[in-house]
Amino acid sequence: MAGRFLAQWVRRKRYFLLATAMDCREYVDKLVSAHADGALTPRERRLAESHLGTCPACRTRLAEERSLKVLVRQHANIVKVPAEVRLRIRAAIGEMADPSFIGRNSTPHTQDSSPRFLWPARQTRVWAPIAAAAALLLFLAVYSGRSGTPGPAAQFHPVPVFDLAIAKYDSLARDFVPNVPSDRNGSDFAWVMDREGARPDAGMREDIERSYSEANMPDDLFNFEPAGYRLGGGRLDHLADGRPVTYTLYRGRGDAILDIDLKDPQMSAPMGAVYWIGMRSFYQYKDYSFCLTFSQPGHFVSITLTRAPLTELIRDVAMADALTTGDER
Amino acid sequence: MFEQVALPHLDAVYSAALRLTHNTDDAKDLLQDTILRAYRFFDQFTLGTNCRAWLLTILYNNFRNNCRRTREQLSPTTEQFDRQAETHSLVDDPPLRNPEELIATRMAARQFEAVLKSLPPEFREVLVLVDVQELNYQEIADVLDIPLGTVKSRVSRARAMMRRAMLKVAVSRGKTGS
Repeated sequence: MAGRFLAQWVRRKRYFLLATAMDCREYVDKLVSAHADGALTPRERRLAESHLGTCPACRTRLAEERSLKVLVRQHANIVKVPAEVRLRIRAAIGEMADPSFIGRNSTPHTQDSSPRFLWPARQTRVWAPIAAAAALLLFLAVYSGRSGTPGPAAQFHPVPVFDLAIAKYDSLARDFVPNVPSDRNGSDFAWVMDREGARPDAGMREDIERSYSEANMPDDLFNFEPAGYRLGGGRLDHLADGRPVTYTLYRGRGDAILDIDLKDPQMSAPMGAVYWIGMRSFYQYKDYSFCLTFSQPGHFVSITLTRAPLTELIRDVAMADALTTGDER
Repeated sequence: MFEQVALPHLDAVYSAALRLTHNTDDAKDLLQDTILRAYRFFDQFTLGTNCRAWLLTILYNNFRNNCRRTREQLSPTTEQFDRQAETHSLVDDPPLRNPEELIATRMAARQFEAVLKSLPPEFREVLVLVDVQELNYQEIADVLDIPLGTVKSRVSRARAMMRRAMLKVAVSRGKTGS
């Protein structure tokens, strides 16, 4: 019995000695980095932890490794993809998803094949825009060279609805609270939103769209993310005459875009538009850039305004429209 | 499905492309080629595995295969350090002061970027892949097409080099009082 006890004691001691046999040199040279990265095998982890239990210097060394990880992560930032590149990638994916794509390229799909017809020669690095985008670029190039004075009608004739929109923009861009009832004695349309915007944008977007839809208001939000604007929140209110109105705010690039949607079958586009895209017309009114959109179903009017230059608003709306077209494929 | 799974990693892949090419136009080309190739061969990706690692593998393969510049040979510095790994121990490196102080020291971003850039590219790459792109060692081995043991060794050596470089910065700041 004494012999068996002694044998057990020797086995335990031997295991202890083996576990602590790892010296500092071995730990620092072979294990400390992997330990900080969580990359040790179970056996290595047992040995490492056993050693660290008796070695404060190596514990400090491990802490230093972890601090270095934090520093690298803090300073070696992820760089955001430029908006136009993101847009073109989405467009190219959309093209590839089109069944008619298969018939366009006569060469069989090999490991190294790529949709060459989509890409210009590498040497030129010139992107070939579609016809509408080419027209837009031409307009922007011409318009950017102008002095920026507004069109004659917008300059000399007040547009009351634009003035109201400006007042709302100034108020909401300064202090937008998406998660409160309507100004008029409460609203039936409170919905759950994360005021701090910590919720992923996708979730917020769906919540807003659902709330708007349930209120029979337009629910197709702009996606200004490629342009550098994040969805700030949505708000459902009522005008003085009781008509429901939605306010959707986007923030980014040191500025804000406010989209106001309301039903107005009587409203017509003011004179002085300087550009058009489909049902959208663009204006420069006072110091604000406007996009006015009429949608036939339901006779809704969307007023989108910002203090950013009109050329940027035109480009950002065009990009958002292109994304929507791609998503719908 | 591809958009949901792969496109959230666009920024991470672009950052890696920039680090590889050091040129915005080349990085954009490389990114686009990579994403389209990934889209074309998305059926080869196993859902539930690390999509970022898969995309980075394609990126690095693209870069190695299609880079117009002369393919970079392993820099002499990297070879030297790999050889040193056999003989030089890191245990004698001096400590870096209180670890929490490392983060709170407010080393200027520019200084730290300079320290990071001072590493040989192959060492800088593994550090960025593990600490910024958050790949595990096997994924890094697959992306860079190097043995797992080499990844471990380079991560360890890269951090050791960072420590020495930061010590030099700290010493010079101490001397100048800045």
